[in-house]
Amino acid sequence: MELDLIQDAFDRVSKKQKLSSSKTQQLVRQIEHEIEQAIMKMQSTENATSCPELKQILADLKNKLNEFSPMNQLETLQKDLNITLGKYVKVTEKSFNPDISKAYRNVDFDPHIVNQIIASHFYRQGLFDLGDCFISEANEPEAAALKTPFLEMYGILESMRRRNLELALNWASSHSEWLAQNGSNLELKLHQLQFVEILQNDSVQNALSYVRKHLAPNASAHKVEIPKLMGCLVWSGKLHKSPYADLLSPNHWEKLADEFMQQFCSCLGQSYQSPLSIAIAAGIHGLPTLLKLESVMAVKKQEWQAMKQLPVPIDLSKDFQFHSIFVCPVLREQGSDENPPMLMPCGHVLSKQSIVKLSKSSTRPFKCPYCPLEASVAQCRQLHF
Amino acid sequence: MPLGCTAEWTNVLQNRFFFSADRRTHLPRDEIQDERLGKTEQGRGRSGGVLGSEKWRGRWIERWFRSPNGSNSVFPHQWQWRIPVSAAIEPSSPPSPSLSSVSTANSLPAFLSSPAMDMAIDSAPNGDASPAAAPAAQAAPTSTARLAQLAESLKLEHQLVRVPLEHLKKTIRFDYRLAEREFTAVLSSVAEAADSLDSSSVDETLKQLSSLVTRLQGLKRKLEEGGKLENLQVQRCRARLEHLRSVADADKLDDWKDARLNRILVDYLLRMSYYDSAQKLAETGNIQELVDLDVFIEAKRVIESLRNKDVVPALIWCAENKARLKKSKSKLEFQLRLQEFIELVRANEHMKAIFYARRYLAPWAATNMKEMQRVVTTLAFRHNTECSVYKVLFEPTQWDYLVEQFKQEFCRLFGMTNEPLLNIYLQAGLTALKTPLCYKEACSKEDPLSQEGFRKLAEPLPFSKFHHSKLVCYISKKLMDHENPPLVLPNGHVYSTKALEEMAQQNDGKITCPRTGEVCNFNELVKAFIS
Repeated sequence: MELDLIQDAFDRVSKKQKLSSSKTQQLVRQIEHEIEQAIMKMQSTENATSCPELKQILADLKNKLNEFSPMNQLETLQKDLNITLGKYVKVTEKSFNPDISKAYRNVDFDPHIVNQIIASHFYRQGLFDLGDCFISEANEPEAAALKTPFLEMYGILESMRRRNLELALNWASSHSEWLAQNGSNLELKLHQLQFVEILQNDSVQNALSYVRKHLAPNASAHKVEIPKLMGCLVWSGKLHKSPYADLLSPNHWEKLADEFMQQFCSCLGQSYQSPLSIAIAAGIHGLPTLLKLESVMAVKKQEWQAMKQLPVPIDLSKDFQFHSIFVCPVLREQGSDENPPMLMPCGHVLSKQSIVKLSKSSTRPFKCPYCPLEASVAQCRQLHF
Repeated sequence: MPLGCTAEWTNVLQNRFFFSADRRTHLPRDEIQDERLGKTEQGRGRSGGVLGSEKWRGRWIERWFRSPNGSNSVFPHQWQWRIPVSAAIEPSSPPSPSLSSVSTANSLPAFLSSPAMDMAIDSAPNGDASPAAAPAAQAAPTSTARLAQLAESLKLEHQLVRVPLEHLKKTIRFDYRLAEREFTAVLSSVAEAADSLDSSSVDETLKQLSSLVTRLQGLKRKLEEGGKLENLQVQRCRARLEHLRSVADADKLDDWKDARLNRILVDYLLRMSYYDSAQKLAETGNIQELVDLDVFIEAKRVIESLRNKDVVPALIWCAENKARLKKSKSKLEFQLRLQEFIELVRANEHMKAIFYARRYLAPWAATNMKEMQRVVTTLAFRHNTECSVYKVLFEPTQWDYLVEQFKQEFCRLFGMTNEPLLNIYLQAGLTALKTPLCYKEACSKEDPLSQEGFRKLAEPLPFSKFHHSKLVCYISKKLMDHENPPLVLPNGHVYSTKALEEMAQQNDGKITCPRTGEVCNFNELVKAFIS
């Protein structure tokens, strides 16, 4: 990416443009000056008597104007500027990919679906005004229903930012079974943080009664945390000098806010990150490969549209891995229900079809392609990822 | 095979020769062997140990950036004993800080041109330096890959740079034409005054000359305004180039990516004519300099008038851009004229329609005879005709078609892509993410394709292809690779080592399969080797 080259070319353009602009204005001033001079001369000479003189003045004016020919100068300036602009355009066309829509398939993206996706993206980011404005402009009144859960979420997050955990605690307690099912101890963490808050700002007595009320019922589940909290009671007022000082750090609040958002979204059945941003990020990763593929393949438009599977892999980073994909190293095909992965006694994994092929239809023991250990089909067991 | 070669060594050497078809995604195989060999001293010096994997990574790096001495033949089966890049660079004291913070483009060239890249293998680094070198070597390929990937994504930003440039060119052209016109007028006026001095009085000539002066003053003002506008547009071009450069700043990378997503969304909103939302989003995301709101304001006027069945602003726009539309062989003006003709026919003003056709449609006849004939034939019908061929010409959807045509021409003139950026990137992303597993019930909610809307959009798109297995642990949702290998339970289910180790720790060495509930011991687990 030759950003320096582009920058240089652009600096030249900018210089030329300034030059051209100032020179043009200078030309205008010159012409004006000449004419004004001529006017003054004409006014200063006697009227009507010196007709030839006036004629001379005008003729002088005309000649002078023709001499420094502003038209030609203007043209040259413009030509220069156009040349520099043309060079800059060439540089950009070389450094950038001039047409990224080459790999686009002419499938109809239903605008309603796209608008709904965009609306839910805005709501998820907390941009409620923007979402409403968008819905009204795009004429999608049904999408307003997407707003409510995220309104709730942002309401709770706002109160957490102001260090008020009440709404969050309410939500956590109402969803406690779901949280327990998914192995999350959000409720406990919220209680912990609230306890520390009470201890800091309120009395030891209140803190103790808080623990008794909320944490004691599930004491057996929190065998590690409750003693810690009790220990904090001893250091009340000097918590920053105690061994539990890390409980005071502010990033607990941020981490808890993030965790809360995660749990909230997965309770709704949605992803933590906006799906639109994941899809677009994947697209930005994958588009260069697709463009290269399109230019190399040189297929007709028909074949490009009707493609069922890409012929080359797109290398996405591990942030985009949501599924376990098994690819048999022998057949280079994805595993499926009909062709599951099988584990051989040596520890290597092949697909069922390749094992059957290697063992000549399940008759004889075969050698693993990786290591020289032999195995028979019966010794292989199916894997589930 | 060297003498005294054990079965383990045979494995190692055989493994070497079984390399993947796609050499670029060459995965280090040594880590499997590392554990088998138990990281012996012998292993470390020659092929195995922690360094063995470095070697492959180093080889990967070398393959892509020529080594200083020029030789570039690094194939997996050619045994060239080179010290991996990381070990070569690390000095005898702590590893160089530039490696661990390889984030800016500037440090990368320095890293690559390090003279210590090919040292002899004999100087094997000592044990305590290698663990420190290991994370640094891991950081180096990922950040090289990341920078390469960022550079690739910058190449897609042609539209960002081109549009303000086209706008600038347009303003420059406009100012030039203005100046040219005025100059010609003034000069010819002066010449005329000089020649006709005899016939006109002195006062008239003086008046004429002063009017010229006023005219020039007016021109000066206009040129000043034009110059200011040009400066603004130059500033905008410059701001965009700056923005592209700022991608190298690793701290602000997330903000840069968010800005990119917002840019893509604003482009879509503008193309769909949702101007208020676009304005709001640009303000929220603070990307006013990076989006083309003002360019689309021009288009807004024309589009709204077309929606109100008025072709006049569109024709004015065509006249302004005549030369460039002609160069791209655009038929927009012709189609606008046809529509006006049809409107005249609809209003039953046949004589007017015929005159109109003679004047405006005839010049286009040579190239577009068939279309013209078809439209002119509407003279013979009424606007509520039932004849299907001609009924369609009277439909109001013709206006929508005109709006689309105008949008296409407009985008083409300004160097924008034909399709909205959102559609292009979304299509590419959905294809890249699409696997048959996405359409099953068990699809993870983190996958965008688990959502109904995305699934529908992705239906006509091709599936993505994989050459290598990529396994994700059901428990921890992390990738199961060589640092975190898969372990197999007796019932055939597979999870990652780290997740199972954690489970065993918390449950006295017992593992419960999350999906079937079967319990087994940690030591009953078998390792699986997946390439």
